[in-house]
Amino acid sequence: MSDLAKKKIEVSGLSVSYGGVTALDSISLDVYEHEILSIIGPANAGKTTFLNCINRMIDSIPDARVQGTVKIDGDDVRQVRDVNALRRRIGMVFPLPVGLPMSIYDNVAYAPRMAGKTDKTRLDELVERCLRQSALFDEVKDRMGDLGTKLSGGQQQRLTIARALSMEPEILCLDEFSIAVDPVTTMRIEEVLKELRKEVTIVLVTNLVQQAKRLADRTALFLDGKLIELDSNEIIFSRRTADQRTFQYVQGLFG
Amino acid sequence: MSRGETEHTDFSATPMTEASHSRQKIARAFLGIATALLLLPLFAIIGLLVTHGMSAITAEFLLEAPTAGMTAGGIYPAIIGTLWLIGVSLAVAAPIGIMAGIYLNEYAPENWVTRMINLAIVNLAGVPSIVHALFGVGAFVLFLGLGTSILSASLTLAVMTLPVIIASTKEALASVPVAFRHASWTLGASRWQTIWHIVLPNSVSGILTGVILQVSRAAGETAPIMFTGAAFYLPFLPQSVQDQCMALSMHLFTVSTQVPNVPEAFPYATALVLLTLVVTFNFFSIGLRTYLRARRKW
Ligand SMILES: Nc1ncnc2c1ncn2[C@@H]1O[C@H](COP(=O)(O)OP(=O)(O)OP(=O)(O)O)[C@@H](O)[C@H]1O
Ligand SMILES: [Mg+2]
Repeated sequence: MSDLAKKKIEVSGLSVSYGGVTALDSISLDVYEHEILSIIGPANAGKTTFLNCINRMIDSIPDARVQGTVKIDGDDVRQVRDVNALRRRIGMVFPLPVGLPMSIYDNVAYAPRMAGKTDKTRLDELVERCLRQSALFDEVKDRMGDLGTKLSGGQQQRLTIARALSMEPEILCLDEFSIAVDPVTTMRIEEVLKELRKEVTIVLVTNLVQQAKRLADRTALFLDGKLIELDSNEIIFSRRTADQRTFQYVQGLFG
Repeated sequence: MSRGETEHTDFSATPMTEASHSRQKIARAFLGIATALLLLPLFAIIGLLVTHGMSAITAEFLLEAPTAGMTAGGIYPAIIGTLWLIGVSLAVAAPIGIMAGIYLNEYAPENWVTRMINLAIVNLAGVPSIVHALFGVGAFVLFLGLGTSILSASLTLAVMTLPVIIASTKEALASVPVAFRHASWTLGASRWQTIWHIVLPNSVSGILTGVILQVSRAAGETAPIMFTGAAFYLPFLPQSVQDQCMALSMHLFTVSTQVPNVPEAFPYATALVLLTLVVTFNFFSIGLRTYLRARRKW
């Protein structure tokens, strides 16, 4: 990414501890507008914690202590008055899909409705578009009234992606979305993500190194709460990594 | 080797599985006996009440006031009085209890104040009803100057049932997976929107069951209403919550122990009516629960 690209998310000196145990250790990095930044790293590296700081879901963990700043479009997320408005700008996809206990349609229409958008025809359009974007529409178009919780794991994951898109977010964060999804669907969603980056900025946490390589513009390696290296994919997936551990991790030598 | 033989060697019981099989049978038998023992007193009580009391249950008994020093007539004012008491106490206890339960489960921060409150609720639920009665006399009849009235008695019953309503509400709310709340918050829904659209629709059966069970408990109590609003003998129907009233539980106590020459069947018949009322409530609650459970969405 060139220096001319706009910084969408600026993270500086971000540290998080849970009841005194450090999970993130002064992370500083920027995410540029319309890029796909992927974050890789072994279990407990702090990847999920990092995402939770972006949309302030970390607030709901009582013993979490956060230091440092996360800025979106230059505004510190900790200073925003309406945290719900902030969350509507950020789509989130969890590793294990949680279909809300309501119909498929209502799942996707939930966030817009909660934000006060209730126009039926607009909602119909929106729901269809989000379900198409998440490659689920054809499978569910005849049973939009069925319960979201009764879909298969992979379908529920795509439902949560559709839900995350329903607020037309500026930022989309995905946390190991392919855990519950078969390879074919994974590839379809990856195509969707490539399409989406024209409109949104994507932070993709993944434990599939090849997925980071396929999709991302840049990749960051987290290890034990620290940012080890962040660079363009060209560098990260080559022998020219700045840190030896990056090369080893990408090669599958540890983790 | 034929197919039948293979199957035999693969699936025949080993001594181990046979032993665990018979242990399972014994365990099952004991659990069954325990259940039967539990049902025995229930059927004995119902049998006793029906055989001794059924003969007294007539239209007159159900629809007329007691006469002749309670040795004749019926229990109509007591039925109506009990309905007043549980109605008013429900109107007070249910909203407060449910709202407190929601606050404690959904909003209250994890700290020592909350822990103290939760501890207090558990302990209050175990306070004997006679203690609630004394509290009711002190707080409502005397201090607030409400006198002996339906209001005082109902408030006393409400105070008695509140802790359990709060506890059962909290339990019902806690049974809704946290992941649903997180998913909802992540989508920008506020706490209250999440409670209203996600949590309550999926816990309403448990909440209502808890409330109704407490109503039927309140219907059967004597001590809390005896000094606060229930009348010994009052052949008129109450006109407002400031009046006193008769009540089935109180009347049962009166006709069994306090007045002479009551026909032998009267106490049994009164008890039978009270029991029918309580059982009706409970069946209603079970029905509601089954209906709402069937609509549950995960
Ligand atoms: N709610 C929590 N309470 C206490 N500790 C937590 C909590 N969430 C995470 N942690 C701790 O913080 C550290 C980082 O966890 P995090 O979930 O961010 O890692 P991760 O990189 O997402 O791991 P994974 O790849 O397994 O998902 C871990 O040591 C974890 O035990
Ligand atoms: Mg994680």
